[in-house]
Amino acid sequence: METPAIQLDARGLEPPQPMMKILEAVATLPAGATLIAHTDRQPLLLYPLLEQRGFTYETTTQSDGSHITHIRHR
Amino acid sequence: MAATLPISATVDRVAPRVTPQTQPFGATAPSSTLPLLFTITGLLALFLGAGWIVVQPEILAMYHYSPAAIAVTHLFVLGWLCSIVMGAMYQLVPVALETKLFSERLAQVQFAFHLTGFVGMVWAFSAWNLKSVALFGAVLAVGVAIFIFNIARTLLRVPKWNVVATSVASAIGWVLLAVAAGLVIAVAKSFSESLPTLAGWVFRFDPIGAMHAHAHLGAIGFFLILIVGVSYKLIPMFTLSELQNPRRAAWSVILLNTGLAGSFVTILLRSPWKLAFSLVVVLALALYALELRAILRARKRAVMDWGVRGFLTAVSLMFPLSIIAAVLSWPGLPVNTYTMQLENVYGFLGLVGVVSFAIIGMLYKIIPFIVWFGTYSQHIGRAQVPSLAELYSARLQIISYWIFLAGLLTTLLAMEFSNAVAVRCGTGLLAASLAVFGFNVATMLRHFVRPQLKPLPKTSVNRAIL
Repeated sequence: METPAIQLDARGLEPPQPMMKILEAVATLPAGATLIAHTDRQPLLLYPLLEQRGFTYETTTQSDGSHITHIRHR
Repeated sequence: MAATLPISATVDRVAPRVTPQTQPFGATAPSSTLPLLFTITGLLALFLGAGWIVVQPEILAMYHYSPAAIAVTHLFVLGWLCSIVMGAMYQLVPVALETKLFSERLAQVQFAFHLTGFVGMVWAFSAWNLKSVALFGAVLAVGVAIFIFNIARTLLRVPKWNVVATSVASAIGWVLLAVAAGLVIAVAKSFSESLPTLAGWVFRFDPIGAMHAHAHLGAIGFFLILIVGVSYKLIPMFTLSELQNPRRAAWSVILLNTGLAGSFVTILLRSPWKLAFSLVVVLALALYALELRAILRARKRAVMDWGVRGFLTAVSLMFPLSIIAAVLSWPGLPVNTYTMQLENVYGFLGLVGVVSFAIIGMLYKIIPFIVWFGTYSQHIGRAQVPSLAELYSARLQIISYWIFLAGLLTTLLAMEFSNAVAVRCGTGLLAASLAVFGFNVATMLRHFVRPQLKPLPKTSVNRAIL
């Protein structure tokens, strides 16, 4: 069964705005839904904050050098 | 949700994946306290050094081979520049190179050695007690060894080697040589009776040539190479651009290394070949300038903030610095008051105009981020947090930028013409600029003590679009 997905494009933003947008989005993420966040850089500093808030994630590097992170509740 | 937009890039099925098991930081974000400890120490040393020159302007108005000039230079270089650069590296190297610092505990231990070492060295130089210089120099060197070990182990974890990693690796190699050279000179001078072989070898070199060779190892090898390398990551990040030509960027770092190696030997030996190697360094800086220009032309953000402008102004001062370097390394340059004072101008323009001004520009980006991350990252999405720009006054930043440039120009002219009164005026302006900068930093740090949190407005709690 496919889980509901929310897409968030946080490219073209200076740090820490991508982190802010993603954390604001996960604050309202329903259980079972996935947030798909697209960023220019790998969101390294975001990971510990997601773990502290009970989220799991997976980042893949894209062919254009950007990154897509799938985030959902643990 | 305003930021809900379609994703255009295609997912690469074989691309490396990062998960909670493979990401470098675990559940603990990098400490904000450690880089701030180094930063505050650096700023205190900077203010003390500026005040010292205002009180004793003759230090700069006469040739720099004097106990006071060497003491204040080490306060400036070790206390201000090294503290700031090392603290920033502990923060930035892991983020820039996508890995975790090998050990935060070791970094704390290094801080203790660093503080004890440089404070003792500055006191010992001003009292011209060379045995104590060697003793405190050894303490500082232990700290530097710990720093190098920690950064080197961090570099071994880097998943993707690039020009930034090359510059960091080069810089820690050069700082090792700079500290070793300084320590060898101090030990040879203070223990010449018990270590006659070492002393005999060191005394074969001209003492001023040895001092200048040691200074170039630190100034170009550590500070300039790091400024060049790290800006290849930070300037694209802050202006929303990309590195345009990785080969050109790599060549700039390779040529800086080559030019410095040759400059070190030729300055030490007072060889006429030093002009050739100074031109290699100038060529490296020209490639750097071309790459920076290309990065800026490709930027997506039209307006540049004053932190980036300050950094770029400092970089453009490399142009007059290069001309002075070529003049001073000219074979058969006559030795007179003006050419001797031009050495002071060269050192001051390099350390204050280029390195310090570049660092101050970058600190306007780095300190707000460290404070913001340490204070507010836990609260995002749970409360309304201030933006980075709200952490300090941009108006004061602009004022301090112009006062700094006026003070720099005045001091350089005053030094060249050995005018102590004018040096006091110039360094007074620099100190005023730094006081404004210090006030702005205090405004940033106040957020640590008194966070400015507001409850989330009801309208921002919107339901997710499914």
